[in-house]
Amino acid sequence: MRGHFCPWKRRERMKQGELRRALLVATLLCVFLFVYLYWQQTADETPHLLYTYKHLYVPFRSAPAEQAPQWTWQCINQRCERQRIKSDVGDVASLATCSMLCGSTQLWPQPTGPVTLGSKAVTFNHRLLDFYSKTTGPANELLLAAFSIVNDSISGLVQNSDYIHQKTDITKFKIIVSILDATTVKLKLNTDESYTITLKPHGTELVGNITAKTFFGARHGLETLSQLIWWDEYHEGGTLKILKGATVQDNPMFAYRGLMVDTARNFMSMESLKRTIVGMASVKLNVFHWHVSDSQSFPLVLPNLPQLAKHGAYAPDLVYKPEEVKEMVEFAKVRGVRVIIEVDTPAHAGNGWTFGQDEGLGELAVCVNERPWSLYCGEPPCGQLNPDNPNVYDVLEKLYKDLISLTDENEIFHMGGDEVNLECWAQHLQKNSNYYNYTDLHDLWGDFTLKALNRLTAANGGKKVPHVIVWSSNLSKRPYITKYLDKENVVVQSWGASQWPDTPDLVSDGYKIIVSHVDAWYLDCGFGRWRETGDAACDPYRPWQTVYNHRPWQQLHLNKKQVMGGEVCLWSEQLEEGSLDPRLWPRAAAFAERVWTDPQLDMSTYTILEDVYTRLNTQRDRLVSKGIAAEALWPGWCKQNPGMCL
Amino acid sequence: MNIKVKLILLILAYNVDGWVWQCEQNNNCVRTEKSPNYTYPSINTCRLACGSFRSLWPQPTGKVALSQELELIDIRDLQIVINAQGDAVQYLDKVSDYFKELLNMEKTNCDIEAKKLKIVLISTSSDVNLLWKTDESYSLKIETDNEIKATITGPTVFGVRHGLETLSQLVTKYKISEQKSCLVTLKNGKINDTPAYAHRGLLIDTARNYQSLSTIKRHIDGMASSKMNVLHWHITDSQSFPLVSTRIPNMSNYGAYSEKQTYSPEDVKDLMDYALIRGVRVILELDAPAHVGSGWEWGPEAGLGNLGVCIHQQPWRSYCIQPPCGQLNPMNPNVYKVLELLYQDFVDLNPNADMFHMGGDEVFIPCWNSTNEITDSLKDRSEKAFLDLWASFQQKALDKYDKVRNNHKTNLILWTSHLTNPAYIESYLPKDRYIIQTWVPQEDELPKELLKLGYKLIISTKNKWYLDHGFWGTTPYYNWRAVYNNIILRGEGVLGGEVCMWGELVDNQNVLQRTWPRAAAAAERLWSDPSTTSEQAENRFFTHRDRLLFRGINAEAVVPKWCSQNEGKCNSYLP
Repeated sequence: MRGHFCPWKRRERMKQGELRRALLVATLLCVFLFVYLYWQQTADETPHLLYTYKHLYVPFRSAPAEQAPQWTWQCINQRCERQRIKSDVGDVASLATCSMLCGSTQLWPQPTGPVTLGSKAVTFNHRLLDFYSKTTGPANELLLAAFSIVNDSISGLVQNSDYIHQKTDITKFKIIVSILDATTVKLKLNTDESYTITLKPHGTELVGNITAKTFFGARHGLETLSQLIWWDEYHEGGTLKILKGATVQDNPMFAYRGLMVDTARNFMSMESLKRTIVGMASVKLNVFHWHVSDSQSFPLVLPNLPQLAKHGAYAPDLVYKPEEVKEMVEFAKVRGVRVIIEVDTPAHAGNGWTFGQDEGLGELAVCVNERPWSLYCGEPPCGQLNPDNPNVYDVLEKLYKDLISLTDENEIFHMGGDEVNLECWAQHLQKNSNYYNYTDLHDLWGDFTLKALNRLTAANGGKKVPHVIVWSSNLSKRPYITKYLDKENVVVQSWGASQWPDTPDLVSDGYKIIVSHVDAWYLDCGFGRWRETGDAACDPYRPWQTVYNHRPWQQLHLNKKQVMGGEVCLWSEQLEEGSLDPRLWPRAAAFAERVWTDPQLDMSTYTILEDVYTRLNTQRDRLVSKGIAAEALWPGWCKQNPGMCL
Repeated sequence: MNIKVKLILLILAYNVDGWVWQCEQNNNCVRTEKSPNYTYPSINTCRLACGSFRSLWPQPTGKVALSQELELIDIRDLQIVINAQGDAVQYLDKVSDYFKELLNMEKTNCDIEAKKLKIVLISTSSDVNLLWKTDESYSLKIETDNEIKATITGPTVFGVRHGLETLSQLVTKYKISEQKSCLVTLKNGKINDTPAYAHRGLLIDTARNYQSLSTIKRHIDGMASSKMNVLHWHITDSQSFPLVSTRIPNMSNYGAYSEKQTYSPEDVKDLMDYALIRGVRVILELDAPAHVGSGWEWGPEAGLGNLGVCIHQQPWRSYCIQPPCGQLNPMNPNVYKVLELLYQDFVDLNPNADMFHMGGDEVFIPCWNSTNEITDSLKDRSEKAFLDLWASFQQKALDKYDKVRNNHKTNLILWTSHLTNPAYIESYLPKDRYIIQTWVPQEDELPKELLKLGYKLIISTKNKWYLDHGFWGTTPYYNWRAVYNNIILRGEGVLGGEVCMWGELVDNQNVLQRTWPRAAAAAERLWSDPSTTSEQAENRFFTHRDRLLFRGINAEAVVPKWCSQNEGKCNSYLP
């Protein structure tokens, strides 16, 4: 294999003696090269063994009752066709096996670089897995955790524990990960998340090599590798299978790929939030934006401001404790997800902030639970921070400090800034001389924001947080925006409808944006109005096709350099944790491919290719196998008959 | 006010961390920071004492007189006395077990002085068949002296069961301290109750996507909790045939999604038993002649010719309204032989049924019209010719069913279709045999016209009670308020109504959330038919949603919790 390094071709132009000498040199060179390469290869084969199956907990599952399968699938013209099994003889293929070997990559999100997949599958079992790290340094610890996760997710596919007694096609399955920059242990906006995979057999062993610049790329690689593995229920009572070979190169199109969950309108358990992060990791989303509080409730127990939860939680047990949050941040990090916690201010704040008077701090919030609510806020109950009370800013600084420390995150910070109701302030401040200093209360809001930003810097040890996110609002419109929001520092999360002028205006004014257009990426819409009067805020429901086909940078001709990425939002007025999974999935997965892969969009037809349906369906099943209650895309018949329902 | 209970409420409730609740003048339970007024330690306790209907769902239709005073129950000392004859005794025994299970879900550890609860169940009739004409009324009386005595009387066991359901809604957990809690109920009360409509149904569709037995049981639990009494099981469709037929195993061999995604006759019977104890009967639907396909492919192989036509034909848009296509072949006499065997299987599953659903939904003429086997023996291809063909299919199917049931004259249900057009329905469908399930929009006059012609009706208002809407095409979602406010036709021929949870986009992962609590909103419309609207029902409905969730039915939230903790405060007007 390595012989082509020898310089044979120069022979003709040499004389006899020269030739002998040259041959000797060449031979020596060849021997040296051979030895060198052999040594190199040995080095390749013995990286640091980091993880083997022994550490694993594999849940016991008994063999399913013996029932002959009804269907077999055959790949015809890049499509798996369902056929009835006519007799016991002949090869039968499960839908999973057929799909993996038939036309489509079955990967979600689709990688952006070249992908070649083998056309054959081999059987193996999870005990044959060995994980090697070719990395030393701080990233190694994260990698160890990631190995354990991917190992669990592979063994989680097993539906019949007895299968380990079967003979397998391979004797060992080695996964070798090289991380070039082992010092990066925190995900940042400029973190390189790319990776490459080479999967090929070496004799009876299968070796998967993953190379990445950082841990975060490496874990994406592991995620992709795990998507090449499936459970084949037809093979002798079931077995794990993997493609025999593959190469993948991949790199995301956007750095910020977010998902927001609101835990203030209705409480979601920590467990359900972690499950959401598992889903995010599975589709390579990387920012969990936690809208933790709102005017309705304040469930987060802050170490230095426990009063907020004490006065603001729905019940003493419906809270998030600091140690739980920290654990969740770690849980997310090893899955390539960073957590940012938003405590929305100055509006969307009420219950919880009522502790001020008890403690001699005065009214921290005004209009709290005031009625009729429609005069003072967008939805009940009302509440807004009191910009006139200097204690508010001291409390904010404490709060910011706690949030930074809980999330270990000070590159980006979400300040909220959503939907301030100036009438609330006007009514309240009329009692107060300060009111007359402002002819336009937007300036009061602006001043609040500047003060809050200063406190954020103070909370961050005097250093500016590089990217402060605010929701788009009147303040992020001209003329206020340039006066109060520094485009070098502030990122606007643009949530208005895509036909509103907000987004193009922000971009042309030079601001960086995160897109969360309500008409495509608000996953809570479509359930009618939840209060007796008022509009059905954002009906109708956005089916996954709408989510997927939203490509604002193309549709609105935005400069992509200013688009940090996108975020799907799930507000929780009309759901609790029992509906969290189906409301998010598979639609958030559809979104994930938009921001990771950013596939072409044909704006004349908005057609979605059959391949997308097939792959998303597979991803939906993958999510379900991870314990996430993702919604069905269509009747089971359509899944079993790819292409026949389009 | 009972002094002892009042003392407990005033003193002990104060030791509980968190919020306390107050029953305001306007009968709203409102969360408060601890105030010196009379308060309750949980919203459920407050709800039990607040307002004329407390937390009852559906609200009773007869006289209701309930005390404000509460009594703590010593659940260790629960006695249920059954006063009935024959099969009714065993039935009520099982219902009692169900009731005890509900109480045990509230984990309490009461060891302070509390009273014994004695329940007396009195059923006049010993019949344990739940039929359309079964009298489901009951009366409930609670009195307290040394013990709490609850007497439930009904003409049938099903009325008594509803009474016990009502009683279960008048019992809640009472938190005395962080560690201690007891059950609590009313000191005195009297309720007379009878449903407005006899048929209060939920349709589930297990053909588009399979639902597990445990999911279906959760539906039944939700129905029992809301006094719904018909589970309409749309068990087959063109997509799949998951029912295992004893006589024709080929149906599920060819038609099930997999060997595991099936319902055996034992499964169905178990579910029927489970449902009956919960006051619910199961009506199976074998939709025909359209909405068939999967499961009907084996005819040619068995030498029976094409039982179905257009099965899975592509491009589907030419042969059906939803993939995959398929319709029965009315020209093939073997179709009727197969139907007869299938009907026998269905009758075996429930030999005493007084109703069977024959489908009759959405025949797509272009399918038959593109099949030579059919058009060759038609005299012309007019719409009338096809309707006549369809009607003759229906008549032959009816004859087979009647044959299987020895001319029992079972009521047969059919969906509204071209065949039920008031202009000619009478020439096709005898009104003494067919009940018509209408699925037209609320504003459509069709139900009124059919009623005038003398047909009995089940109403499934498409633009209010189709719970699958809002997720496909341009259909909007109907939230619980829209479902609740759907006043259906009244009149003797109107048996009642059904909410329909079609299964294209739901399976085990999300079907309960999509169905509940909205189905419960329809339940009150059908049981109570109130003259009030959803606005007046809010407080009870929010509590009922929490109840469903507590009982293991994954019902969705309908408002931020703040609104259910602060009743009336999310309305836009001032009190």
